Order: sequence, then C-alpha cells, then structure tokens
Amino acid sequence: MQPVTITINQKVVSGHAGMSILEIARESGIDIPTICHDPNLQPVGACRLCLVENEETGALVASCVTAVSPGMVINTNSQRVLEHRKNIVKLLLASHPDACLICDKGNRCILQQIATDLGLGFNDLDKISQPAVVKELNPFIARDASKCVMCGKCVRACQEIVVEGAIDYYRRGFAARPATFNDAPLEQSECTFCGLCVSLCPTGALIEKIKPYQGTTGHSIQTTCSFCGCGCPITMEVKDNRVVRALPGKVDSSSPGALCIRGSYGYDYIHSKERLTEPLLKENGVFKAVSWDEALKTAGAGLKRAKEQHGPDVLAVYGSSRCTNEENYLIQKFARTVLGTNNVDNGSNFYNLATRAGLGNATGLLSTTNLLEALEQADLILVVGADPPMTAPRLGYSIKRAVKYRQAKLILVEPRRTKLAFFSHQWLRPRPGSDLALLNSMAWTVIKENLFNPEYINRQTEGFLGFSEALDGCSPESTVEITGVPPDEIRHAAHTYAGENKAVIVFGSGLISAVNGTESIKALANLALLTDNVWGSGCGIYPIQKENNAQGACEMGALPEYLPGYQPISSPEIRSKFERLWKEKVPLKPGIPVVEAFSRGRETPFKALYVIGENLTSLTRPSLNTDAISALDFMIAQDLFMTKTAACADVIFPAASFAEKEGSYTNFEGKIGWLQQAFPPVGESLPDWEIILRLAREMGAPLPYSSLQQVVNEIEEFVPLYEGYDRPAERLEDKWSYWDERRSRAFQSLSGFPCFSIPESGSQPGEKPKDYPYYLILEANLAYFGSGTRSGQAWRLKSHYPPEILKISAADAEKLSLADGDEVNIISLHAQVKAPVEVTDIVPPGTLSLPASFPNATELFKTGFDQESKAPSPEACYVKLERVKADGQVKSAPRNRS
Amino acid sequence: MAKLKAPPEIDLERLNEIVNEHALKRWALIPLVQEVQAEFGFIPPRVVPIIANKLHLFPSEVQGVVSFYEQLYTEPRGRNIVRVCRGTACHVRGGKTILKLVKRQLELEENETSEDLEYTLETVACLGVCALSPTMVINNQVYGHMNPKKVKELFKREGES
Ligand code: SF4
Ligand code: SF4
Ligand code: SF4
Ligand code: FES
Ligand code: FES
Repeated sequence: MQPVTITINQKVVSGHAGMSILEIARESGIDIPTICHDPNLQPVGACRLCLVENEETGALVASCVTAVSPGMVINTNSQRVLEHRKNIVKLLLASHPDACLICDKGNRCILQQIATDLGLGFNDLDKISQPAVVKELNPFIARDASKCVMCGKCVRACQEIVVEGAIDYYRRGFAARPATFNDAPLEQSECTFCGLCVSLCPTGALIEKIKPYQGTTGHSIQTTCSFCGCGCPITMEVKDNRVVRALPGKVDSSSPGALCIRGSYGYDYIHSKERLTEPLLKENGVFKAVSWDEALKTAGAGLKRAKEQHGPDVLAVYGSSRCTNEENYLIQKFARTVLGTNNVDNGSNFYNLATRAGLGNATGLLSTTNLLEALEQADLILVVGADPPMTAPRLGYSIKRAVKYRQAKLILVEPRRTKLAFFSHQWLRPRPGSDLALLNSMAWTVIKENLFNPEYINRQTEGFLGFSEALDGCSPESTVEITGVPPDEIRHAAHTYAGENKAVIVFGSGLISAVNGTESIKALANLALLTDNVWGSGCGIYPIQKENNAQGACEMGALPEYLPGYQPISSPEIRSKFERLWKEKVPLKPGIPVVEAFSRGRETPFKALYVIGENLTSLTRPSLNTDAISALDFMIAQDLFMTKTAACADVIFPAASFAEKEGSYTNFEGKIGWLQQAFPPVGESLPDWEIILRLAREMGAPLPYSSLQQVVNEIEEFVPLYEGYDRPAERLEDKWSYWDERRSRAFQSLSGFPCFSIPESGSQPGEKPKDYPYYLILEANLAYFGSGTRSGQAWRLKSHYPPEILKISAADAEKLSLADGDEVNIISLHAQVKAPVEVTDIVPPGTLSLPASFPNATELFKTGFDQESKAPSPEACYVKLERVKADGQVKSAPRNRS
Repeated sequence: MAKLKAPPEIDLERLNEIVNEHALKRWALIPLVQEVQAEFGFIPPRVVPIIANKLHLFPSEVQGVVSFYEQLYTEPRGRNIVRVCRGTACHVRGGKTILKLVKRQLELEENETSEDLEYTLETVACLGVCALSPTMVINNQVYGHMNPKKVKELFKREGES
C-alpha cells in the first residue's frame, strides 16, 4: 500500500493511502471526538463531530469519511473547528432530554463525555421535544428515541455485524429514527437480543432494560463466554462481587466483537439463589451440609472402597466440556494416575466421537480445518444439518456476513425453514434423516460429470477407486425416493459446490445426532476431499461444537481412548512417554465412553462415578441414565446447581462459576480464550481444579501442583499445540503460523494421505414403524442451552424460552383437523408427551418439531451405539399424534379426513 | 363517510408477478415499489416482507426506503387528494376554520382516507398562492378565498342541497 505522509497539528504523521484522516490521527495518538464512527462499521459521516480543518483550503471536513492525500495539512482543534464542534453538540443537546442524572448510560454516555470535554453546560437553545419510549415487553433492551442522536451505529451493527436486520432508519427528516419493521416492539421483530446495538449506542437511547445489579462499574475484566463453542471474548464489568454487565470483549481486528443473547444476558445464573454453596452429604436420602474435610473424606473413601472391591475399571470420571483446559487435564490425570483407570470422558465426546469417526480418514483428528475468518473469504458455503444462528451464533454471523456482504453463495440442506433459508441461494429440503443419500448423490454427480481434478486425487489422496465404485447406484434419480429432493436440484448443488473455487462446509447436531450421523459426516468429508476443499484458505470443514470447551476437553485427553493431544492410549510408546513425564503408571486398558456405558441402564459396568459439571440424565434418554445411576454403589457430583444428576449423588461438591476462577477454554477453531477471575467463588464453592487437587490429596495420591500456573506450565510442555498457549497475544498475532502447526499436527494423525471413506450401502433413515407416520425433530433455540442447567437459572434467558408447542405443517394439520392451540399426545415407540400444536411452514409435511427446551422431549428418542467406533447412532424418531379432547379424553386423530 | 379502517385486500397473485419480474436484479427495489404503488395505489406493509424476501433484503431495510420517500405511500389514498393550507397567511385569514369545516364535511382527520376511497385529507405548509388565502387544493386544482359556503359546495354529497 502506498505510504502517505501528512501534517496534523504541526506534527508530521504517516500512514498509507486509503486511510481516513481520523484513522491516521488516532494511530498517531491524536484524538478527535466522534459519535457515529466505529472501526468495525462502514463510515457514514452522520454526526459531523469529527470535523477538522484543512489548513490549505480552509475547508472543514468530516475526518472519518475523508481519505488522506499526500501533504495534507490538518488542524484538529483550530478556533473554527472548536466553534463548530460546540455548535453541533449544542444542537444535539437541544433535542435531548435533561435526564442525564437518572440515565442508565451514566458516565459511559459519549454525548455527555464530549459535552463535558468541550466545556458545555447550560444550553441557550430552545428545547425541541422528541418521540419517547417504545413499549417493550422483553427483559433485555429498552429504547428511548428521545435520546437518539441518529448516529446509526445500532442500525449498522445490526445489519453489518450480526446481520439480523431487525432495525433500520424509519421515516425521514425530523421524524427519522431507528425502528423495527412496522415499528413493532423488538420482541416482535427479527431481533435476537444479541445486545450489540446497546453496547455501541453512544447515548441512553438504547439501554439494558432490567439489570440484575445496578451500580457504576467498579472494574472490568477480560474473560470468555461460558456457553457455546464459539468462545467469544467478553468484557465483564464488575462491582461489589456482582456482574454489572457483559459487553463484547477485545478481539483481533479480523473479526468484530459481538456476542449473542447468551453471552450478553446469560450470566445471570452466576448470581442465582439456587447456586450450591456448601459441600453436601446424603444421609438416609437427605442432603445435609458438611465441611469440606468431611465431604472429601467421604468421597475419597467411597472411591477407594469401590476400587478395593471391584478393581479400578469399575470407577469412572466424567469430565466436562464446560470446565477449563487445565481442569480437564487434571481430570484425566486424576482418573489415570490416582484411580488407575482410563474410564474418563467428557460431555462433548458423545458428540465428538461421531465427528472424529466421520472426519478422521480425511482430515485427521482436529475437528475444524480452518479458522473462522477463512470462512468469510469463501465463495460458497454448504450448511448441512446445522442451525448456526441458534447453536453457534458467532459462526452464524460470519456465514451471514459472507453471504450478504461478500457475495458468497449459500447452499442450505435442511428440512426446517431456519433463519439461513432466507439467506440461501439454494435450499434443499430433504426428508429428515436422508442427508446421507443426498450427499452421496452430490458426490456421484461430481464424479460422473468430471467436476473434480484427477491429478490432485491421484497425487494427494487415497482410496478414490473404492469410493467411486461404492457410490454406484447413488445417482440423484435413484435417491429421490429416499430424499424427496428432485434430481436436478441435487445436480445443481453438486455443480455449484464443485464449481466454486473456495468452498466450505458447516455441519452440526442436525447431522451429527441424526440417523446415519457418522456416515453422513464421512460423506461430507468425501465431498470436500473430492473437490480439494479441505485445507486451503477459504476452504474447510467446520463441525459446530456445542459446548464452549468441547474442543479443549478432548484435546486435554479427558477421553477414554486418548491421552492429551489425541495421543492414543493403545500405543505403548505414547504410554511410556507419559509414564516418564508423569512418573506414574498409565493404565493399559482403554476406557469405556460414559454415555455408552450408561445407555446400558442397570447393566452399566460402572460401580462408582465422579461426575464434574455434566448433567448425565439429560444425555440420550433420561430414564436409562437414571437406571444406570441407581445401579451405582457410589457417586460424587460436582456442580453449580442441584441438577437431576447431582440429586442422585452421595456427595456433592459445590463448584465455582467461570466468573469466579481462572483458566482457559479452546474454542471450536482451536483458539484459546482465557478466564479472569471477577470475584471470589460464592459461599464455600471452589474452582473445579482446586477440588480435584484436594480430592487427590485426600486419597493419599497428591498431584504435584501447588498452583494453577504449574498445571499451565505442564500443559505447555506436554500437550502438542499448547506450547505458548498462555501468551494469547503472541498467538493471535501469529495465528496463521499457529494454524499451520495445527494443520500439520492433523496430518500427522492420519495414517497416510487423506483418505476417502467407503459409504455404507444402507442410507435409509431407518424403518418407519407401522402407524407412526411422522418424523420428529428437536429444534435448537438461542435462550435454552445444553440441558438448561445454567440457562434455566438465568432468569432473563429463561423468560425467553420458546413456547412449548409442537410445530406441524398445514398439510398435516388439515389431515388431522388440527388448528393452532389444539392439544395432542405425541407418541413414539418409547414414550409419550402432550403439547399444543402450531400450524406453520417451518416444518415440511411429514415432519414435526419440538423445541429442545420441551420438558422430557428426549424421552421420545432412542440412541444406539456403533459397535466398532462406539459413536452414538441415534434412531429416527417416528411418532403418531392423538388429539386430546377438551374434556381430557383422548381420541385417536383420524389419519384421513374423508 | 366513515374513515377507512382496514386497508383493502390486494391481489397477491398480481403482486407476485410484479415482484418476480424485478427479483434478483440489482437495485430493483425503487422501481419495484413504484410499480407496486402504480398497481395498487399504495404499498401495503404486508407486502414488504414478500418484496424483502425476494430481493434478499431485510423487511426493515425495505420499510426504511419506503418511509424515506414522500412519494411512496404505505396507506391507500383516495381518488381525490384534498390539501388544506395551514401556512401563515392562510392561518391568519381563517385557514384553521376551513380545515375544521373540511374535516367535518368529509368526516376525516388529517392524513385519513375515506372508506369509499373517494377522498384523502392532508394539509400543506404553504401553497405559494398566499394572495388567494385561505386556500386549498383538490388534486391539481387550487381553490382560493375559501369560505364555509364554498367548502359545502365543493364536497356536496349526493341528495344534499
Ligand atoms: S440486539 Fe442485536 S439483533 Fe437486536 S436490534 Fe440490537 S443489534 Fe439487532
Ligand atoms: S439509538 Fe443509539 S446507536 Fe441507534 S442511532 Fe440512536 S443514538 Fe445511535
Ligand atoms: S456465540 Fe456462543 S460464545 Fe459467543 S456469546 Fe453467544 S453463546 Fe457465548
Ligand atoms: S464521526 Fe465522523 S461524522 Fe460522525
Ligand atoms: S400560506 Fe396558504 S398559500 Fe401561502
């Protein structure tokens, strides 16, 4: 870029062509006040506050929208500039209410700051009154248009960064203000309550509506969101040991900071009255509070007893994808060296087993094959069985930005009309559970129509011949029976995917935890490999991680078959390496994945369980897990809340929340996010890592650490890819070379070249049992997270759970003579639940959907396990409906109206 | 004459025809909404999401554009547009009373349209013919030196003398 030198306030400064005067000034430490400018938003030059004087021409120009030209001589605070600036602020104040004393924006108000800086007090201009508050029912955001200075930051943030488009300018001239469509309250608009507009609004026009804790910020910390796998950085403002607010944290310049509803308002659970604050011991079925010493002693004795009676392999530790890396490292080391078993697992493994089994052949073991910023450079994005705007909002923002502002094409494969359907260029709507057949047909088309590069296939991949032979009979015509998608649409999608230079694939739980999940992931990997779209920039495969540290928990080795860094327990060299490093024995026998062991119900091989921060009963069918738990001799739970799982335990350790401890998380791209302690743990609760260390000590086998830093140091030394991970700034600067390391690590985990997987022949979504005509799916939503342990304790989120309603298509509703609000019993082969219906075009005919937050919805489903990989293989959930009549009587709904 | 409560139903099929003609052309929005207005006389808010969806725009964005231009209407307008002047000159010479009378005669408030879509009543800052004040315009015809009798004459309903 062309270097440019200009003079500002007699000082010679330099930058490059294309910069604005404002940018150059700020880079050189010269401040110019602004209201409408934000480095992450398109400049609009609306407020004129950033006026500067061009000393050669005498012109006053808005520095945020004026590009520098060589040799410019600029004055940022000449008499004229100051005069004008004061007038602008006076005019703004003239139409602004005198409410500063009681305004929630308080001393964060930019208008107030600037007025004070300019020495403006009472205003001699006449007041102009303005429209006032819009009535809103939501608990998150309040709007007061009388305080709006029309800087447009909210509108631009909503359109350009989170791409929801909930608000835009409305009307013109004096009546103009930001408004939703039909000027409706936010809750009736597209608004997702991400909170970004509130955090950027320079005045009190947008404020947080009901704050759980009032008060001026005492101090603020940089931390990481505790919800989804995006791991967004958060700036947390704190006072009196309470969170005052959460704002988008500092990120590297490549992606603008933005949170979602969970990050912005979900922290309420930290201060929930329901937090566990003391260790508890169960006596005769009742919990009583005890001292830490007593709880630890009982816990240690219980584990030892089980081990002495039945040997170490009846013990299991269930770690958590919500715990930090350091904690998960300790969890697996505790299981292996203190207890002597490889029965250690984490909540995300259930999910990641399928991803690893599916992608392993093609990409190695590291999950995503590229960074999020690379996704925004893609020409084409293929989203299969995923609803990123709900499950991984930051990834959703990236996809929408790429589509709306970088002209990327979006192919959506999804039976439901999700938010991305609006953004898609092609929306394939296969029957649920038929993704595998559809993806194989796409690959068939790519091969048969020669849409791939044979040289690349020959030189850099393996297994192509077997793969292409196995695809025989997968033509779009022959799969239309299964998918219901017209062959031409599949062919078109295959051409688009193979035809674009840089194509990425995003998939999520709609694929992973559906029928043929693992096989479908293999099919996706095949497709990416076939078109050389795995590793290049703007290419890649992105599995969505549900929990914020799902990636880290696995990389730390909280897995039954891997030591830290995905190093297989089955390898004698690896085992002896760790024995050398740890100076402890590492057990030989690979462990059993906890979820699989629990799905055996009363037949579970475990006798004693230590479960840390996971709600076991919510995974797969709650009743089976409850059976398995009741078959245990001894159980320790460690959690923030009395979950259903914790209630079954003999001993409960109260754990600290993410705001009360230190440590790191690894997000779904492999980026590290650090926690910073905001205040001490509530009551007697302790950080998970400290509890583990105390328990090990109690059991007479202390782990060799006296501080968290020592654990960090060991991870740096022993875990591949974590070298230098506690210097995040350096890693960020050098993220691409870090990424290269990650990628070569993934290659190392391959046994040779990336290899195609042979598709299984059966791509049917399972037998449809007679008389169960509908396919049921669960719908993710923003406010409800995981099993609801935390979001259910965050009152603002909870108040925003979707209604407990069954969605049904108009065609099916008509057949059954159902109308909105009619109650039905939903009956699967395994259970039944009752719900009112809503007739909608969100689901296609033959498909029904319940919100994931629906109580006991998971009871309706059944999950099997792959014999070999132990990956879960959920069965399709077919249901029938019975109308519940007003008098509570049940009447089988007629299947045909005639 | 009662005022119009709900906007009249529009022919959605015809709307879709118009929308499809313009879809996926870049910068199609303004010509498209103009054509919708030419067809239906106004741009009903309920068609905004349909237009938005087709053009890959947000409904709020489309509404923003529609509400920006004075010549784009989101409510149906009468066949006759009545504009009573409320400029200073007219005001001092009884413009306010004229407006009151017109309102009473048409049974409409400002910016309302009659149920039979015959009249829309608006006001205007100054028509530029202050010499004739008080003034009003019906469609393109200016009426000067207005008085109660003239108001009655102009809006004489059938059967009235
Ligand atoms: S909260 Fe987010 S989605 Fe809602 S209006 Fe603000 S920026 Fe848009
Ligand atoms: S509401 Fe706030 S951010 Fe939006 S235009 Fe007004 S002052 Fe700017
Ligand atoms: S996108 Fe995920 S990590 Fe980011 S704020 Fe939302 S829940 Fe937290
Ligand atoms: S900051 Fe430059 S015009 Fe607002
Ligand atoms: S004031 Fe009425 S025409 Fe000028």
